[in-house]
Amino acid sequence: MSESIVILMIGVSTLLGALGLIALLWGIKTGQFDDHSKFIDSARFDGEDALRDAVMMEEKKKKRDEKKKKDEKAYGPPD
Amino acid sequence: MADCTCTHCNLIFDESVMIKEEYNGQTLYFCCKGCQGVYHLLENEGLGSFYEKLGDTTLQPPSEQAGDLEKFDLEGFEKRYVKVHDDGLHEINLIIEGIHCSACVWLNEKVLHKLEGVIEATINYTNNKAKVIWDPEEVKLSKIIATIRSIGYNAYPYDPKLQEERAVKTRKSYYMRILVAVFGSMNIMWLAVAHYAGYFGGIEQSFKDILNVAEFILATPVLFYSGWIFFRGAYYGYKNRTVNMDTLVASGALSAYIYSIYAMVTQRGEVYFDSVTMIITFVLVGKYLEVLSKKHAVDTLDHIIGSTPTEVTTVKEGVKSLVGVDNVIIGDIIELKPGEKVVIDGRVTQGAASFDESSLTGESEPVYKEEGDEILSGSICLDSTLRYEATKDASSSLLTSIVNLLEESITKKPRIEQLANTISGYFSTVILLIALLTFAGWFYATGSFENALIIGISVIVIACPCALGLATPMASLVGISMSAKRNILFKEATFLETMAKSNLLALDKTGTITEGKPSVQTEKIFETFDFSLLYSLVSTSNHPVSKGILAYLESEHEKLESYPLEAIKTIQAKGVEASYQGKTLIGGNASFMRSRGVEVEEESDYTLFYFAIDGRLAARYELSDTIREGAAEAVALIQEMGIRVVMLTGDNPQSAQRVADAVGIGTFYAGLLPDEKAKMIDRFHQEGSVVVMAGDGINDTIALASSDIAIAMGNGADVAISVSDVVLLDESPMSLYESYRLSRRTFQAVKENLGFSLLYNLIAVPLAVAGFVNPLVAALSMSLSSLVVVGNSMRIKTLKFKKEK
Repeated sequence: MSESIVILMIGVSTLLGALGLIALLWGIKTGQFDDHSKFIDSARFDGEDALRDAVMMEEKKKKRDEKKKKDEKAYGPPD
Repeated sequence: MADCTCTHCNLIFDESVMIKEEYNGQTLYFCCKGCQGVYHLLENEGLGSFYEKLGDTTLQPPSEQAGDLEKFDLEGFEKRYVKVHDDGLHEINLIIEGIHCSACVWLNEKVLHKLEGVIEATINYTNNKAKVIWDPEEVKLSKIIATIRSIGYNAYPYDPKLQEERAVKTRKSYYMRILVAVFGSMNIMWLAVAHYAGYFGGIEQSFKDILNVAEFILATPVLFYSGWIFFRGAYYGYKNRTVNMDTLVASGALSAYIYSIYAMVTQRGEVYFDSVTMIITFVLVGKYLEVLSKKHAVDTLDHIIGSTPTEVTTVKEGVKSLVGVDNVIIGDIIELKPGEKVVIDGRVTQGAASFDESSLTGESEPVYKEEGDEILSGSICLDSTLRYEATKDASSSLLTSIVNLLEESITKKPRIEQLANTISGYFSTVILLIALLTFAGWFYATGSFENALIIGISVIVIACPCALGLATPMASLVGISMSAKRNILFKEATFLETMAKSNLLALDKTGTITEGKPSVQTEKIFETFDFSLLYSLVSTSNHPVSKGILAYLESEHEKLESYPLEAIKTIQAKGVEASYQGKTLIGGNASFMRSRGVEVEEESDYTLFYFAIDGRLAARYELSDTIREGAAEAVALIQEMGIRVVMLTGDNPQSAQRVADAVGIGTFYAGLLPDEKAKMIDRFHQEGSVVVMAGDGINDTIALASSDIAIAMGNGADVAISVSDVVLLDESPMSLYESYRLSRRTFQAVKENLGFSLLYNLIAVPLAVAGFVNPLVAALSMSLSSLVVVGNSMRIKTLKFKKEK
């Protein structure tokens, strides 16, 4: 068995493990495991409705950002 | 008549009382206007699918909400609860009341999402907490709250900066660090197996290098990310000039790590990366267990302050006006309406009313006050409007001073020095010294720097702080979970140790030894009568005696009917009067009977209640506050353990004497005000006692806060529960005894664990000093010693209580 194979084996397996770990840490950090039941409910209540809702919220956010930009322009010094 | 369910809340009612409605060709039934309103609101908004999601879950019918919405837009409120983002968005954390199921969460989120100006709304089903982000230019907070209320839920804000939230955050951070540590050490483990095999069977240097580098890569994040806690702890220890466990762990792991890098680069000797990660992982798990068993109380004082009115009605030259509490000066005339809480001490000038002083004295019986009587802040006016003159300003009134005292005693709460920490402090110093001496000795004797360093490090590694680090938290965790199964909640693991050392138990009388409400002892019937008459009469009054009679009647008689009584009159502190079908019914105490011309004998130790129909005495009841079941037995058992038991009460000496005699308490102190109770606790402290205090009311809170361990009854006042360290959910005095037993057993296990790890070190360290330890032995013995500690802690579970059923 050559060194490079051992390096490859250790490297790949550790990397894959580390990716899983990082994903888990990210999940914890962003609070995805805070609510156990919601985790399951999101599957139960999944549907077009939820999707539309999410889009609506996105649009709301966008609209506000745009409005803010406009406001900023309006208040800015005339060029 | 058939029962049917309300279309909105799914509660079952008789059909005759339901609101019937035809809607879209369907017949709908509603139990109340509120449910009907919410139903139509949801249908109109196109949220009817809520009911499909709801299934069979029942809801609370929406209640009429008080018009306190304006307060949400006030500046002071905003400053306190609302977080302003950089981009001008506002954020608030709310607790939503009335969430029963996931459909409720869905509905609330949906409704909030539909609201114009709400940018984000997420609700946590597990703890009913919601985070709402909104644009203050488009929608007001009061509108958001009103929306939640309109669909039958209620929302109130909470401060996310509370201790509890912080504790959750710490737990999360520990958890993440443990994950990294476990990942690192498990992967190093299988690399180490190859290493050990090579150590005994021979291995080429090139493969050894690969393994070394891989272990190095895995160990680095474990040491610096997961082990960061130890470096921080060691740094704080250094700043305070103390040596603690963290110093030992940090120095041991760091020196092993640096040496291993040296060995890896120079390709000489063995690497110790596996030991580095093992130490960090084990001790970190121990620390995590400790954090896990810490349950922080929610902010206690907020509750008292929150329930205190901020304004009072003053009367000046016949003109009523609302004045802020702080602006009231001595001599002002204040008007008090029924149900209001007194915030300023004073003397009654006009009118009379009864007051609920339970938050001050612990006694549930209302006190009747008339012109010239003192009224104390913290009591609640029960029945009529009266005027009183302020004799103190707000800041020196009793309520404020209680709050201040409480604040003080919470922050200054005495804590007993913890055994494990002291031991590990000494231990760490000694081990570090031995390691240093070993290194110096070997270096001097052999002249080889490298060899001396290995042996020096192996002393630290084998000294295994793991077992020591696990000794206390493991035993405490088992102890805590055992007590939780017996309905005893220890809020923090260290309380077990403190409680085990206690030698004095102070008990409150009302609500702790006794049930806290009067119940019927004897019944004497002079003339047969319809019990439903008495039942109807006593159910019109909220007086504890009436409630006691009511409970007695309900338990004794099966068929009781509520008659529609007429001309009901409640005469304060005396009794009730009513008429039914031409009969005059009166019920009350002896003086009330006499004033109505009924002759009664009143020889009794207990509270008496008479019932007369048309001027003829029908029945007499003797009531007293009953002592909780098993109280005498529990007190005896606790005294058997060598613990002094005393009773502190705000009640009069006679009834205190009676209760003390009944349960076998030799010493009692009666007639104590809340702050006097706390002073008694301080006196016990000065006598050198470690005091456990058990109580239930607001009147006990200061005493609870100043005792070493505070035990609250499960249904006691919220404040009492939140300042206490231990909560007895089943409220039985036997639980007091059990918690003593459990804490002592746990403390014993802690001592055994510590003893074992010290013994282990006594054997292992000299071997390491002599240079007999190789990496495999070090790793094995490390794990074994930790396992022994875990196993010994599990033995707590075999603890048997006397008289187990």
